[in-house]
Amino acid sequence: MRKFLNGPWVLLMPTLIILTCVVLLPLLLSLWTSFTPFKLTKPDTLYRFVGFRNYERLIGDIDFWIAFGRTVLFLAIALNLELVFGLGIALLINKITYGQRTLRTLMMFPMMFSPILVGFQWKYIFNDNIGLMNNFLREFGVIQPIPWLVDGILANVSIMAAEIWSSTSVFAILLLAGLLGIPKDPIEAAKVDGCNSWQVFKNITLPFLMPFVFIAMTIRSLDVARAYDIVQMMTGGGPAKRTELLWTLISRTGYVDAKMGMANAMSYISIFLSIAFTFFFFYKLVEARQRLSYE
Amino acid sequence: MMLRLFLSLILAVSFFGSFSAKAETELWGDFSGVTLRVKLIGGGQYEGLYNEVIPWWEENTGGKIEIVTQKNHFELDKEIKKDIASGNLDFCVASNHTSFASQYGNIYTDLNNIMPASVLADYTPLILEHSTVDGRLVQMPRHSDVSNLYYQKSLYEDADNKANFKAKYGYDLTPPETWDQVKDQAIFFSNPPDFYGTQYVGKEEAIAGRFYELVIANGGALFDEDYRPIFNSPAGVEALQWFIDLYNAKAVPDGVLNYLWDDTGLGFASGTIAMNLDWAGWAGFFNDPENSKVAGDIGLVRAPMGSGGLRTGWSGSHSFSMTESCPDKEAAASFLWALTSNKAQMIEARGGLSPTRPAIWDAIIAEKKAEGDEFMLMVFETFKMSLAEDAFTPPLIPEWIEFTNVLYPELQAAILGDKSPEDALAIASKKATEIMEDAGYF
Repeated sequence: MRKFLNGPWVLLMPTLIILTCVVLLPLLLSLWTSFTPFKLTKPDTLYRFVGFRNYERLIGDIDFWIAFGRTVLFLAIALNLELVFGLGIALLINKITYGQRTLRTLMMFPMMFSPILVGFQWKYIFNDNIGLMNNFLREFGVIQPIPWLVDGILANVSIMAAEIWSSTSVFAILLLAGLLGIPKDPIEAAKVDGCNSWQVFKNITLPFLMPFVFIAMTIRSLDVARAYDIVQMMTGGGPAKRTELLWTLISRTGYVDAKMGMANAMSYISIFLSIAFTFFFFYKLVEARQRLSYE
Repeated sequence: MMLRLFLSLILAVSFFGSFSAKAETELWGDFSGVTLRVKLIGGGQYEGLYNEVIPWWEENTGGKIEIVTQKNHFELDKEIKKDIASGNLDFCVASNHTSFASQYGNIYTDLNNIMPASVLADYTPLILEHSTVDGRLVQMPRHSDVSNLYYQKSLYEDADNKANFKAKYGYDLTPPETWDQVKDQAIFFSNPPDFYGTQYVGKEEAIAGRFYELVIANGGALFDEDYRPIFNSPAGVEALQWFIDLYNAKAVPDGVLNYLWDDTGLGFASGTIAMNLDWAGWAGFFNDPENSKVAGDIGLVRAPMGSGGLRTGWSGSHSFSMTESCPDKEAAASFLWALTSNKAQMIEARGGLSPTRPAIWDAIIAEKKAEGDEFMLMVFETFKMSLAEDAFTPPLIPEWIEFTNVLYPELQAAILGDKSPEDALAIASKKATEIMEDAGYF
């Protein structure tokens, strides 16, 4: 006991206590609720254990799995497009010799808007009746208004556009940091050896950037749930569930229907999605770093 | 529970400008040192009341009001559900609604035991009945809502419109009496994308409520006596088909399935909608030239009838409740009374909201007559009649909101053509059955 009190455990204790209170206990509580029919408006239901009933129901719930699949697709497309646009912006800004700081600041503006505000803005832009997009298209002869937020594909594209606008700068900033850290020598040596710009980018710049790409991907894959506010503002997951993502479904189940036990069961299933994305990106990050050190 | 002795019950006559309402039982007291924490519905339409009544109550009682939360009703609903779950009910008074109240269990006190009978006698009995959950009066009604049909008058006075409509449909173009006529006229007036015959709220409880009232007007019902869903019926299919037909005919804007109340209100005010079923509270806005392009050109008729010969009349009341955990129930009772008093209701009635006290109906109608405000007079007379003869609440059960959440995506799917109305209602009915089974109704 004395050894324990004098050992490193004593130093770790404050951290362990804080982590237990702030992370572990809420996680355990929410895990417990997923095995109960807990309703917010009926606190007594927190103590009624129903085993895997919520999970069993979810396994047979086609709406949940469609929302799950749509969320995976949304994440995959949005993250990749954000990467492409972010990389493009970072490369362009990296070329600039005058006003780079101002541009970097301007680039971060979309990040400063709250997601709710972004949702409102883009809902207005894509409004079929008074929206900027349809009015703009009308100038070019598109008389019939396009139902951006109603059509199954267009509604998802519209939401993705808002999300990409809002978050591309995260990628751009992280990748720009990577670009600024690339040593100049290999690039200059490659140019002396006769490599063109594409060859320099493909064989030198990109391998150096890959660890930053996967760090950005990991951060964004966890952070992309912020898009909940955007989706909620623009379509609320509708119409007819055409834009339903896990976040809107879980929120409605938990807070509007007050079925927090079921909502937490959904959350625990969706956590596997986050773990899968995070694991994949970390794996790729390690791989990229190893390749870089070999080279 | 009896009120403390120092609480004064005064029978007084209240005056509103130059018009007097009937005698009102007032509920003042000395509440010096008492601070009531309150959670209120926010938004421009609602906050004017607080600006007037809170200082008035504080001045007369010596008590203080601390507004803990002021947000829209759906956000407030979520917050209160979280409060219930955490057991953190550290407020005394909260905004409520007849459609929401039954969800909250026993957190709100039974006002039958708090409010003197003479105070309750000042409110419309039917509205108090709708404010009662499981025999407990848990709300003091603030104002009532029902919808009637606003329309652009000039469209109906236009000679070409009259002639063309008669030639096409075989009957005269007059403000509609039935929902079938609304459909004919909406299709007739529509000229998309510049002008639409009508519109409807297209998501969440809003469209579920509109569907519900049309099912009733068509002679159907949502549930039987045991709360088994029965809306998958000819009346239900007919109601849903009405929404589908208007959407397919482009007689409503394409984005209508994302519309809520602000969208339809602002849409009608923009002058691009011929007819609009909407609440009383919008009347003043619609007729205000600063906000509305149709100001001065608005007609209003009672909500039309469905095929069952009944008028639509989905109704509810905004209200205030007192928590069971409130440590100062006497002060809270006094504040509840003040928030729904003659003075308070007259303030809101002047903004177009429908009072829950019969005396205020008389007073506001007299005031508008004296002012020569023909439009608002028409509004109040129409809504008074509608509330008296057509209004009905949704089922006052805790599962109402959860039920609407399984119903509305299916309605939307049918409107968009993803499913047939029969299939959509069958799926909604199956999900609703599960909800009611889980809740122990059968």
